[in-house]
Amino acid sequence: MSASLAPECNEVKERYDTCFLKWYSEKYLRGAEKDNKECADLFNEYQKCLGVALKSRGIDKLLDEAREDNKDNDSRRNKF
Amino acid sequence: MVLTHSTNHTYSHPFPTVTLAYFLRYSSPQLNPFAAHVLSTDTISSHVDPETQRLYTTRIHLKKSRMPSAVYKLLPASVSGGNSGEKASYILETSVVDIKEGWMKTESRNLNFTGVLSVVEKQHFKVPSSPEAVARNETDVNSSVMFKSRLGEKIRGKIGQAQESSGWLPGFLGGLGAKGIQRSIESLASTKTIDQLSKSRDGMRLVLERLRNGGVIGVMEKLRQERQRQAAAM
Repeated sequence: MSASLAPECNEVKERYDTCFLKWYSEKYLRGAEKDNKECADLFNEYQKCLGVALKSRGIDKLLDEAREDNKDNDSRRNKF
Repeated sequence: MVLTHSTNHTYSHPFPTVTLAYFLRYSSPQLNPFAAHVLSTDTISSHVDPETQRLYTTRIHLKKSRMPSAVYKLLPASVSGGNSGEKASYILETSVVDIKEGWMKTESRNLNFTGVLSVVEKQHFKVPSSPEAVARNETDVNSSVMFKSRLGEKIRGKIGQAQESSGWLPGFLGGLGAKGIQRSIESLASTKTIDQLSKSRDGMRLVLERLRNGGVIGVMEKLRQERQRQAAAM
């Protein structure tokens, strides 16, 4: 599996990815159980680790800016 | 100015497999050698809407920069990040899958260098409308890429990334014209990206072939073995 941008999160990321792919291919795509709660604990653990890296690299700010730009574009589009 | 490029393509694989290949396409250079420039991939949100049962996913990829070297040559090092390791872009990817209605919509945009160039790629995968194509297990995709340079424009009250770094901008743009530079950047980037679109389709096709041959379990087993080899090598 590809690496996480934060090497210290690699292990939990891999466990989450494996869980997600298994759920997606075996359940979601087959129209069975729709929610992916079975991966929720792993996901939370992964986000706790990743959140620190996103902040320290300033990616959280880039994300906010991207959302703001999207809003700008939407309001411009809505004028027409 | 904005440059847009749009193409249609048909994969000879069923829709659910194509969506799985989309999620898997950057998972390893062994699985997809066309993704060797992808340094990392992280999921930052994933949820199923309880009403529509649509799956919403947001991921961040770090890619070795695909900004053409000609664009770098147009810009002073203070803006482009120079020759340092900064030549990598964060890409924000959002996707929605509706398995009941048989479509997936994706959007990818760069998060850094946006003051120089924004590239937004959208893909719309869907189960074909003709029953013959459905019987042949095909999936249609429409891809569009939009290029927009805002170099020298006011963004969120600031003038681009450019102005902050040094005082070269007024003279530089005054001489060549901001619009002219923006157009050059857009057209250089679009020429390069259109080349890369076919590579990214080749990558999808490879992942799809591997899914056809080994199934998802086979592919995941291969990824697991590869991880073990990497761990053993360390």
